[in-house]
Amino acid sequence: MDALYLIKIGEIRLKEGNRSEFEQRLKHDLKRRLSSIHSEVQHRDGRYYLTVAEEHAGLAEFVLSRTPGINGWARAVKARKDIDAVREAVLEAAAAIVARGASTFKVEARRSDKSFPLGSYEIASGLGADVLERFPSLRVDVRSPEATVYVEIREKAYVYTDGYPGVRGLPVGSGGRGLLLLSGGIDSPVAGYRMLSRGLALESLYFHAYPYTSREAWEKVRDLAATLAAYSGGMTLHTASFTDVQLRIKKDAPAEKTTLYLRACMMLAADMVARARGLNSIVSGESLGQVASQTAENMRFTGSFTDYAVFRPLVGTDKEDTIRTARAIGSYELSILPYEDCCVLFSPKHPILKANFESEREAFDALGLREAVAEAVATMETLELPFSPELPRAGAARR
Amino acid sequence: MYHEPMHYLDWAATAPPYRDIIEAAVGVAADAYGNPSSAHRAGREARALLESSRERLAASIGAAPSNVVLTSGGSEADSIALLSTLVGKGERSVVISELEHPAVYEQARALEGLGVRVIRVRPERDGLVSPERVAEALRPDTAVVAVMAVSNETGAIQPVGRIVEAVRSAAGGRRPFVHCDAVQALGTIGFDARALGVDGAAFSAHKLGGPRGVGALFLGRPLRPLALGGGQESGVRPGTHNTAGAWAFAEAAARAASSLGPRMERARALERRLFDGLSAIPGTTPLPECRRAGDERYSPYIACLSFPGLAGETMARLLDEAGVAVSTGSACSSSKKERRSLDAMGVARELSFSSIRVSTGRDTAEADIDAFLEAAASAYSRFRV
Repeated sequence: MDALYLIKIGEIRLKEGNRSEFEQRLKHDLKRRLSSIHSEVQHRDGRYYLTVAEEHAGLAEFVLSRTPGINGWARAVKARKDIDAVREAVLEAAAAIVARGASTFKVEARRSDKSFPLGSYEIASGLGADVLERFPSLRVDVRSPEATVYVEIREKAYVYTDGYPGVRGLPVGSGGRGLLLLSGGIDSPVAGYRMLSRGLALESLYFHAYPYTSREAWEKVRDLAATLAAYSGGMTLHTASFTDVQLRIKKDAPAEKTTLYLRACMMLAADMVARARGLNSIVSGESLGQVASQTAENMRFTGSFTDYAVFRPLVGTDKEDTIRTARAIGSYELSILPYEDCCVLFSPKHPILKANFESEREAFDALGLREAVAEAVATMETLELPFSPELPRAGAARR
Repeated sequence: MYHEPMHYLDWAATAPPYRDIIEAAVGVAADAYGNPSSAHRAGREARALLESSRERLAASIGAAPSNVVLTSGGSEADSIALLSTLVGKGERSVVISELEHPAVYEQARALEGLGVRVIRVRPERDGLVSPERVAEALRPDTAVVAVMAVSNETGAIQPVGRIVEAVRSAAGGRRPFVHCDAVQALGTIGFDARALGVDGAAFSAHKLGGPRGVGALFLGRPLRPLALGGGQESGVRPGTHNTAGAWAFAEAAARAASSLGPRMERARALERRLFDGLSAIPGTTPLPECRRAGDERYSPYIACLSFPGLAGETMARLLDEAGVAVSTGSACSSSKKERRSLDAMGVARELSFSSIRVSTGRDTAEADIDAFLEAAASAYSRFRV
């Protein structure tokens, strides 16, 4: 038996101008994530239908829940377009609702195929009565039912119940391709997720400072990138060694400015990587006022080291909301693993809060760090993480 | 599995086991399979082996066999002593040193949450706990006093005998249970429960070449346990006996005890080599800073060394890369930034944060110390910030 899914798309429909491009992209995204199995993606009347063999239902649902551009999805039953066949499917769906413990329901019907002999209202009320007769414990509630059985009469009849939410947003890549500054913390994976869901394909850049940061810290970042790969359909992770840059800053810069200059060097490196890789933007997990280095003045300073668009999707987000998203996408448990991504020996006790733009630019330039940054970018290592339904787990095969 | 030759200097975390004992223990487990609590012959044979093991172990710790409770390890032995404070009515308090291993320290913190008052005694700057300070901390309701024998972080040998005396005389007619976590003492500096006069002491087999999952609690006087079960070990530690584990523990402890003296001499020589080498690396210091090689207040088997400007974690990583295994403080707390016992000694954060623990054992050779010194000097000069 095949598993059939009905996929609802949202925003794509608003983009009338390049709608077909968006639609092609989403279809391609689904097919690519499901390339290890046989699948069929059909697109009719603004709806997508995905069919896979029953044994691959788990993979299909994993993909549907994590592919940007999908508003929601539901497991559907396809029936012959005659009312008896539809009734049978509806009663089966109602049985599932009862098993789930719902006590109120409604049937919602849509008839796109006007040749079907019954109208939407008649279909809904007739089938509703049939359900009540079979399941006396259920009551009808048209305003706020605990469960809804949907019937759609199209080229075939489709019956499904309440579905699951998708990532929403736009298909990955519809907004181009950006560079995510990925650390081992909680924020940057969430920032990446937010931009992915806005259609920005991503590559990730991590700054490693071995031996000050450990192999485990890098593995954590790799696992975070792999977690994002489930949403983006794969992830490129660049690792640049910043040990020399950090040592240079520590040696030459005043202690209170080390964090600011380090972040400037990171932005400079990101600019170089974006240029070399033909990307269109830089994504950072900064949130205004969250730590000393994340002030408007300091963001102006670090942002001045690139002319690419710098997206900071968390800039106005509360930490608790970020944590909630991190939990939902599965990055939180990895992010809180205790491997430091920046050695405290490099963190000043009292970092500068409001960089004076002109004088700091001058002081930074005088340090002559560009060459060290360029060297880090020139020698960076790149890892391709494929899409995989096996998400990394915190604590698996560690310690 | 193939491993590069390694310079293992983390004996305080765990000692490489005596291979022949571990292998023989497998045979014991297969042969003496009876439950020592069973009345049939298989049970009686296992019981006989268990009791002869207990006798040998008792001899290694200065106790009568009837004073030895077999446990699953050092942590459980500590727990049994501390949790007994929850048995009985009325207010209770516990006095512990700030140096205690998490098996005692965290257990006490949990007791605190249950309403037991916990008084923590700070060590002096030299890492030693003063008997007078312990005596001053006693309250009329103090049920348990716990001070470890050898600090697992600095090697400081605590004046356990004098602490017992001080507690006895300060407590007057009352008699708080004086417990000693002796996990780092047995098999290195040795531990004599009777001579020290403690009421309880915890031991672990794997620290002296025995297997994991076996330990012992010395009980000089009865204690009412919190956890109950099938009545084994006089009801103090219920659960089916680990006959083979007990046998292997007794065997390893006896072997260690038989050569304490010569080993101590070697350990002192290695300590001197280590400290001499360290003094040739500018900027470094042992912790506490007053410690010198040959100082009998410290176990020569454990040294805490600081490399200011290089995080202990980073140094441990670089040494690992060079084939030298050390740890940052207690292996159990090495991922935490705090160095609790060093903080309590008043060691500056800059020093404690940059510290590592080097610990030696029966197989440690001069070449191991030399390899450590060379790798540490190189790492320090390259990566100190």
